[in-house]
Amino acid sequence: METGREVQVGERGNVDRRMAGKAVAVVDTNVLLNLAIPVVDNRSKAPTGEDPFKTLLVSYDIHVPDSVLGEVTDASGGDDLLSQAAKLVLRAADSLTTHDVRDEIQEPLDYGLDRGESEAIWLTNNRNVDFLITDEFGSTKYLLLNLALEDRNKLFTTPHILCTLTADGALHPEYVEEALTYYFETKSWDGKYVGLLRERYLR
Amino acid sequence: MPEEKKRVDFNADVSVIESADSITEVTNDTRTDFIIDAIKNEIRKLRNDEDFRQEVVDAYYDGRIDHSIAEDILGVEEATRMKLLKESIDRVPPEPQLEDSVPTDEEFYDGKVPTWKPDERSKSASEGT
Repeated sequence: METGREVQVGERGNVDRRMAGKAVAVVDTNVLLNLAIPVVDNRSKAPTGEDPFKTLLVSYDIHVPDSVLGEVTDASGGDDLLSQAAKLVLRAADSLTTHDVRDEIQEPLDYGLDRGESEAIWLTNNRNVDFLITDEFGSTKYLLLNLALEDRNKLFTTPHILCTLTADGALHPEYVEEALTYYFETKSWDGKYVGLLRERYLR
Repeated sequence: MPEEKKRVDFNADVSVIESADSITEVTNDTRTDFIIDAIKNEIRKLRNDEDFRQEVVDAYYDGRIDHSIAEDILGVEEATRMKLLKESIDRVPPEPQLEDSVPTDEEFYDGKVPTWKPDERSKSASEGT
């Protein structure tokens, strides 16, 4: 099994992708949790037949700041849906490459971004990272992420990546259609934006 | 300095204007002030109306209104968020590299995937998650 474990952090801290050949993505906590949620959700309204979380982790080389795994661990304490999703993420933690960047940022980047998000941005700006995935596209946080990134063309949303994963057959378009509806209903995702993504990538 | 004025002429049903005039008789306003207040109230009401705001969002994404109109109604932050999001749709993310064989759940998660379903007691409380 080829996973992020095989990707080494080079001498200058840049990600060495020669071994994996995959594009390097940084994700924040919500992306991991939200992709794991439909996998563990056994209710009838949850989409079935695919695993978007595993698909993301095997299709790209996923990197996270340590604090993101800390936030996932914090979320894993209960017995609700979110906690169960957090437990699933932790069981796949070997497939994530983690970075200790605590010393690089004394405090969160302000503007209402939390530590995990701030560190994810720092990683994207300062390491050899291809793109940053976020779920924070429905609030002004999306503005802040755009402002804080040195190259905002590196910013992608979870639904955009889910749609992209259908292009090469990593996920079935029907599954992604169902998943987008599920997220719209349970997470209040910006329906119009997601609708445009559907038209563009799934029809 | 007082704001520049713009002259607006319009025709209205006689009964509507007569009703307005009856009210301004009592309130001692001019007909013009009465109409301007009514327009201001309607603008304030619609700017705070979620359904209307959603209409503006839809119209912007569909290209039926431009950025400046969205900004005027929704505010700078919300309009800029939508502009950035709309622009990002055309961006192509790096290509996923799927391996020939995707690891099984057993391999990937080191065991079976745990599942979650609300039990009957907590069902109503968990439905909203």
